[in-house]
Amino acid sequence: MSGPRAWPERVPERLEYRLVIEPDGTVVARSGKVEYGQGIRTGFARIVALELDVPIDRIRVELGETDRAPWDMGTFGSLSTATDGKAIRAAAAYARKLLLERASARLDIPVSELETRDGRVVSRTGQACTYQELVSDQPLSGLVPEGWSGRPDAAPAADIPMRLEARDIVTGRARYAADVRLPGMLRGRVLHPPVLGAEASQVDDAAARSQKGVVAILHDRDFVAAVAERDEQAEAAIAALKVTWRDPAHSAVEPVELSLRDDADVDAALAAGSAARTLGASYHVAPIAHASIGPAAAVADVREDGADLYVAAQRPFGLRDEAAEILGLSPERVHVHPQAMSGVYGRGNVNDAALDALRLSRAVRRPVLVQWSREDEFHLSPHRPYLDATIDATLSTEGNVLAWRYRARTNPHTYGGGLDSPRLLAMSCGRNAIPPYRLPRARIALRVEPAKSRAGAFRSLAAAPHVFAIESFVDELARAAGKDPLDFRLQQIDDPRLRRALETVALESNWRGRPRAPGRGFGMACAVYNGTAVAQVVEVVAEVGGRPRVEQVWCTVDAGRLVHSDGARNQIEGGIQQAASWALLEELRIGERGDVLDSTWHDYPIATFTDAVGKINVIFTSEPGAESTGVGEPGSVPTAAAIANAMFEATGVRVREVPVLKVRSER
Amino acid sequence: MNLTLTVNGESRRVDPADSATLLGVLRDELGLTGTHYGCGHGVCGACIVLLDGEPAPACKVPALQAAGKAILTIEGLARGETLSPIQQAFLEADAMQCGYCTPGMIMSATALLARNPHPTDDEIRAALASHLCRCGVYGRVIDAIKAAAR
Repeated sequence: MSGPRAWPERVPERLEYRLVIEPDGTVVARSGKVEYGQGIRTGFARIVALELDVPIDRIRVELGETDRAPWDMGTFGSLSTATDGKAIRAAAAYARKLLLERASARLDIPVSELETRDGRVVSRTGQACTYQELVSDQPLSGLVPEGWSGRPDAAPAADIPMRLEARDIVTGRARYAADVRLPGMLRGRVLHPPVLGAEASQVDDAAARSQKGVVAILHDRDFVAAVAERDEQAEAAIAALKVTWRDPAHSAVEPVELSLRDDADVDAALAAGSAARTLGASYHVAPIAHASIGPAAAVADVREDGADLYVAAQRPFGLRDEAAEILGLSPERVHVHPQAMSGVYGRGNVNDAALDALRLSRAVRRPVLVQWSREDEFHLSPHRPYLDATIDATLSTEGNVLAWRYRARTNPHTYGGGLDSPRLLAMSCGRNAIPPYRLPRARIALRVEPAKSRAGAFRSLAAAPHVFAIESFVDELARAAGKDPLDFRLQQIDDPRLRRALETVALESNWRGRPRAPGRGFGMACAVYNGTAVAQVVEVVAEVGGRPRVEQVWCTVDAGRLVHSDGARNQIEGGIQQAASWALLEELRIGERGDVLDSTWHDYPIATFTDAVGKINVIFTSEPGAESTGVGEPGSVPTAAAIANAMFEATGVRVREVPVLKVRSER
Repeated sequence: MNLTLTVNGESRRVDPADSATLLGVLRDELGLTGTHYGCGHGVCGACIVLLDGEPAPACKVPALQAAGKAILTIEGLARGETLSPIQQAFLEADAMQCGYCTPGMIMSATALLARNPHPTDDEIRAALASHLCRCGVYGRVIDAIKAAAR
């Protein structure tokens, strides 16, 4: 992402922006967040159903529509349920209070003798008003009082697997951006430069222009594109272009040194430590691709007086503002309509295909659908940068960490860099670089180097790479101290939620009674990610130099109050599957010029049905009454370290680099 | 070129470019956008349709070659609002997240159960080996197909 220009304070919530009761009784709930498979639409609907006593099929959740939704910075950080779920809960609960009061006045019955049921306020004597009757002459409005937090007493709806989009998905009716068809719509294809920022110094478009169906060929610096009546014609036109590219002159941007913690005398304490109890190790995490199954696509309809954008975007309001600036329009003239989205995992923070479509539609004054190819997606979508980390620590005779030194190098983890914003770098590149252990003395430092290629936000930002290094090293420390990795962790973790997650995952996986046999190993890792405590035990079958198989994973999660536990379970399972794929298989090859060398699924394999994790057991360890935290990213955070630690137990060989196996040639 | 295709039991006349793939015809000529573009190489499974009952990547099949065959797409499985058993099982198991890869998987699973009504886990994995799911719902898909087989 280009990074927020400012971090606005949350404005007071107005009920009418969050919740509307329509004349037919439909309850509309609104959020600026977007849905890309996390299940927030279902979660938000369940919150409204619970707080307002409305059947879920009479609730419509509108997400990310910039004309109507409350402003939002973006859908990232596993925050949607924590922030907007809370806001929708407060709005629905407050709406219920107002509806009870209105019904009380209308029926002349005290509120204490009324209750809500099935979209109506009913009295004990059988009198009733529907919600729509109660708002017909005066819609609900006003500030939602601070601290309004819903009904702890209401029984939650049955926790069956459900997804409000499921019927559309399984029937093919779900409409993704590439499926949008507008009257008069043309098709655009973009010829992307071989290297980010390269400019077309020469374009020979004579052959392309004369081809059937071609409406326009555009070239402007790094943007070369064709518009045609049909998609194949646009593709053929692009193929017929002869373009000479000039590599960008990289201005010398200095790396940024960032200190997250800097206690005195860390080096001295490490130097003074006993050799047997002082360890150091280096870890490497390869760059990886988001590898979204659907390559980027977008439809833009630009007119003199405004524009509509049909997109997959994690920051619809950011896209609106960017588009308005390009078009010279005020932001409210740009209408962003988020469509069903192929999973994006951070990739949707960059508005590339949408801006391609915008430029083409502006040029031809007709709606244009731009579809990126798979090759485009590998070459120019942003990716998670590498991480190199070196950790040193010394232990007391009891096996407690006395001093900890963590030094890591990476690229920016948000698109656009943010190299000028230490705060953004600390929360992105530094995410989870501070371990959840008691560290009497510590130095934690990052060096963030500018990337030549397109590094950007990826699920959990730098957390998964840091936690791979930290939790692998903790396993090494535990063994150096002669301790079981569970005991070693418990003796220096204070956070009661993380302790409970660890103790529970140990019980569920029978950690203490785990079989010890050559070729089979168990590994443990944990983290606290944006308020969610997560602990994992992984069982692998592995041989030295061979290809490990992840047979089973146990994962405990404390994400506070769950809105829909099967939905949360699905997110955790998916995070583990994806992270196992990163750890075992994935490395995006990047050339010296910042050019991505992988183009296809053969070049860049991800886990399939045949090598996916066998069985995943998810156990929630939340306390009743706790606030909701997120589940989108946390499941993916400890997995790589847990696998590496299990491989050590299986083989005696320590894995300090991921991916574990570079299997490209095998496939 | 003028072609007549049999799609979801109906005879459809189309006039695509000579180079058109079946995927292009389904999505752009016939408005059947439930079959998705994923890679263009026939390796990700997002565009799988059934040709005479056999799974085929629509992005790799020239439209001309599909003429004369029974083409079944995700839009052709349900009878009105009644889902096919496999669609229903995917829905009930929530065997999806973003859903982009789901239609292709449902088509392959439909072919699998037609020839092998009670597949083992390994047979399911093998039959769906060419389907990629980045959200990672592989386990739920296997469960859904087993449920549909019961």
